[in-house]
Amino acid sequence: MTYTILGRCAKTGRVGIGIATFSITVGRYAHCARSNAGVTISQAFANENNNAIALRLLDQGFSAQAVLEHLKANDAYYTYRQIGVIDRTGAAAAYTGPGVRGWAGEVAGDNYIATGNGLVGQHVVAAIARGFLAEPDTDLEHRLLMGIEYGRDAGGQGTAGDHKPERSSALLVYSRHVHPDIDLRVDLHATAVEELRRIYVEYKQYEAYYRYRGEHPRGALSQEAFMKTIAAVA
Amino acid sequence: MTYSIIGRCARTGRLGLGITTFSLAVGGRCEGVAANIGVCKTQAFPNRTNDPLGIKLLAQGYLPARVMEMFAANDTEHGYRQVAIMNRDGKIAAHTGPGCRGWAGHKDDADCVAFGNGLLGPQVLDGMIEGFLARPDDALEYRLMRAIEGGRDAGGQGSADAHRPERSAAIKVVDRRDFPDVDVRVDVHPAAVAELRRVLEEFKLYEEFYRGRDTDPGKAIPQDVFAAQLKAKRASRTS
Repeated sequence: MTYTILGRCAKTGRVGIGIATFSITVGRYAHCARSNAGVTISQAFANENNNAIALRLLDQGFSAQAVLEHLKANDAYYTYRQIGVIDRTGAAAAYTGPGVRGWAGEVAGDNYIATGNGLVGQHVVAAIARGFLAEPDTDLEHRLLMGIEYGRDAGGQGTAGDHKPERSSALLVYSRHVHPDIDLRVDLHATAVEELRRIYVEYKQYEAYYRYRGEHPRGALSQEAFMKTIAAVA
Repeated sequence: MTYSIIGRCARTGRLGLGITTFSLAVGGRCEGVAANIGVCKTQAFPNRTNDPLGIKLLAQGYLPARVMEMFAANDTEHGYRQVAIMNRDGKIAAHTGPGCRGWAGHKDDADCVAFGNGLLGPQVLDGMIEGFLARPDDALEYRLMRAIEGGRDAGGQGSADAHRPERSAAIKVVDRRDFPDVDVRVDVHPAAVAELRRVLEEFKLYEEFYRGRDTDPGKAIPQDVFAAQLKAKRASRTS
């Protein structure tokens, strides 16, 4: 049980993922994006080796579809996996094996894949895609989070009579650096999508300050002094 | 304001980092933990390019002390950074620039370096080392967790009249594979160290189930069944 949006910003080339699931600490399984290479995820019965292999292949220039074929050829349990790959051109390739449980599938287009399993129905991934596409000119992290929230609002995981809560979630975006632009997580929470939104809103206030402080230590405001400036604005 | 420990398990060669701080989402700024290579962490006023660069240099075989010299040569603001580096053999280098604010320093012992800034004093590092060394046969993630708790219990961040809360925390441990063995985080919380302990304990209950499910999917039980079994086990323990 998981639902995920993989996305790429066509304007900037930034790539990222938003993910929410019943499993705990999902961020541990989502080291899956690389600057100037692409983004991928292996979920359902996830082959933990896949993300690192896929990123190396993307880095070498293989297309999303070629990466998927490599993963297939390398895995005895391929039919239990659910995989998405977006390469640096925005081409998307996705697969949902017949061994994946519950309602499972994806909606994919240029620059995005909405994918999930153990869901209430197809309308969840359709809603995720709608959320991602709703405000195409905004920051990728905002679009990814919208995708996840639309998926939650469409019913998320479980069956009609038995909703399964989101217990962990993650939001990850890479731009041009080796390190991520955005890397936020909720590892264990009763409503992990709401909690991810809370963390996102908090973190966004500090994002520029943290960057500036690292790049310009001389005379940087202390964090307490910076927080007073936030309080003054609010 | 941050206190961290990098450590190595001498038995297994596993490497890891434990960290907590006043800043938010610190686990999202810990790229320098690499299986079979080493650990590199830059904090205080961090240079974000240091840690990935450090891992590349360690992978090429440079010693931590040499990596630190290259950092110094590559960064006009090296005097504002606090850096600790450990390679796969447990060799270490540490640096606390004079520009770091508050009480700041580092201390090493067997297979570990504790380092922090904006702290109550050196007793915080002592508490961390004590925590790390307390049970050397435990899995590395528990030793790192105990080190962070030792630092917190020794007073943590701030000054005698103004304690600063830990608002985020993380533990990352790598073994031999491309992805971390343990990767637990708390991003925004008023008592992030206690919350990290809660997340770690819960993760450890699921760890084997998740691994088995992914390597042999045909035999896997559904997660809600597994979760119900856990709940029953807990109930029978407490009754």
